[in-house]
Amino acid sequence: MTLRRGLVVPAVAVVLAVAALVVWTMTGGEEFWPRWVWFGLGAALIALALAGRIRRTPAGRRRWLVADGALLVFLSPVEITVWLLSGQGFFWPVYSLVTMSVVFGAHVWFVARRPDPRERELSARVDTLTRTRRGAVDSQAAELRRIERDLHDGAQARMVSTALNIGIAQSLLRTDPAQASRILDDARTAATGALQDLRGVMQGIYPSVLSDRGLGGAVRALVYDLVIPVRVDGDPPGNLPAAAQAAMYFAVSECLANAVKHGQAERGWVEFRTARGRLVAVVGDDGVGGASTAGGTGLLGITERLAAFDGTLDVHSPAGGPTVVTLTVPLEDQPA
Amino acid sequence: MRVIIAEDLALLREGIVRLLSAHGFEVVAALEDGAQLADKLVELRPDVAVVDVRLPPTFTDEGLQAAIAARRRVPGLPILILSQYVEQIYARELVADGTGGVGYLLKDRVSDVDAFVEAVRRVAGGGTALDPTVISKLLHAKQRVLPLDRLSPREREVLAHMAQGRSNAAIGAALVITEKAVGKHTASIFTKLDLPVSEDDNRRVLAVLAYLNGAT
Repeated sequence: MTLRRGLVVPAVAVVLAVAALVVWTMTGGEEFWPRWVWFGLGAALIALALAGRIRRTPAGRRRWLVADGALLVFLSPVEITVWLLSGQGFFWPVYSLVTMSVVFGAHVWFVARRPDPRERELSARVDTLTRTRRGAVDSQAAELRRIERDLHDGAQARMVSTALNIGIAQSLLRTDPAQASRILDDARTAATGALQDLRGVMQGIYPSVLSDRGLGGAVRALVYDLVIPVRVDGDPPGNLPAAAQAAMYFAVSECLANAVKHGQAERGWVEFRTARGRLVAVVGDDGVGGASTAGGTGLLGITERLAAFDGTLDVHSPAGGPTVVTLTVPLEDQPA
Repeated sequence: MRVIIAEDLALLREGIVRLLSAHGFEVVAALEDGAQLADKLVELRPDVAVVDVRLPPTFTDEGLQAAIAARRRVPGLPILILSQYVEQIYARELVADGTGGVGYLLKDRVSDVDAFVEAVRRVAGGGTALDPTVISKLLHAKQRVLPLDRLSPREREVLAHMAQGRSNAAIGAALVITEKAVGKHTASIFTKLDLPVSEDDNRRVLAVLAYLNGAT
């Protein structure tokens, strides 16, 4: 027969309690002394159980509270039992019991009281940061993989072909100059193609026009390339961090691309303004509407990218249009 | 022909100097930053300048700004801008004064030596040389606003080449048709788009660009 580990100690205690009773019966004693043995064993069992409970509570403020409560739970019956067994009389445990109850009550109040607003704000902020940091790291990793793949399949492959063709042309230079010249033509075409690929990759990372002209200028340059007329109003202020500026640029660009691709819009508009320390960009179009972050039109991606800069995206796009996407990012604090 | 070159990458700068020298140009200055560029352009009055858009010290569109500033002081000063990428908005800013003598090409085009030298000469002669990428972006973006669908596919091809700044002869060579056929197409384009007809190649190109830029 195997006893569960947790039952060994109580079993031993029961055996000892019974043994004490047997010894008392056999010795035919006058005073019923086994009650003190039982009292000792009972107290030890309660102490063990409480110690286990404390150990199982996660470290921190709650464990101290549990320990405090355990002390109260342990000492109250012990003192009352001692008072009972020692012939009662004046109820002396009252002093320590009241003191301990007051201390425990204060402890409970302190632990359970509502966290102050600042604390709640900070804890919400930590939650947001944890979530958005994971999103930012994930999307950055995906972005790097995409860049790697683009470079590998595009520019790198073309440079290999360029080098190969130059090598072949070199070996043919004396024996067949005409053929060498044709192969050099191919090499030049491949090199130009590689440049084109690199340009595409670089524009996807940080468009040059954004560093040249800032967000407002870059968006104005962007709308020239669109097939629908887009009106741009307002100008974003300069105190926007470069990375947030890029995120905002790609967000606006994606919204306008959606307007053309999915919204079948005839015209669009972009408006920049600032409100309560944030840059607000409103991108609208007169298309068919029905856009949402759930629609898989890239709006979710934009939301995640903006969230890394504490930016927000809000879509209002009833069926039948118009679609209005409101993007915001916080501005840097103005130097005093 | 006297030429000023402004390019910060030493390899490319030397390459362009060598290339243009070999084709009979006299390089009067080869600058590596944009600080003195506008002043030099006005002071030395080259027959043509080849300028990189992005130059030190700011590494933004310094070259373009210097070119526009210099052309404000000397209208029509021929400048060919080279860039790693092309933006319609920059092309518009360059041709906005309507005086011609401007070029805006991707750096890649340097590799086609003959076409590049031809473009430099064309700009020096008061013509324009706009990158095919800019023109195709321009035509693509305008297809919904301009009545370009009045043109036949062939006429649209001719329009694209013309907007780049090419002469009838060059367009004919590129499309493998006779110069006379190109002339017929251009006349038809001008009629269909209600553009003023001009015998002068450069004026004709500027009219087309103004037309394409005009409707936003």
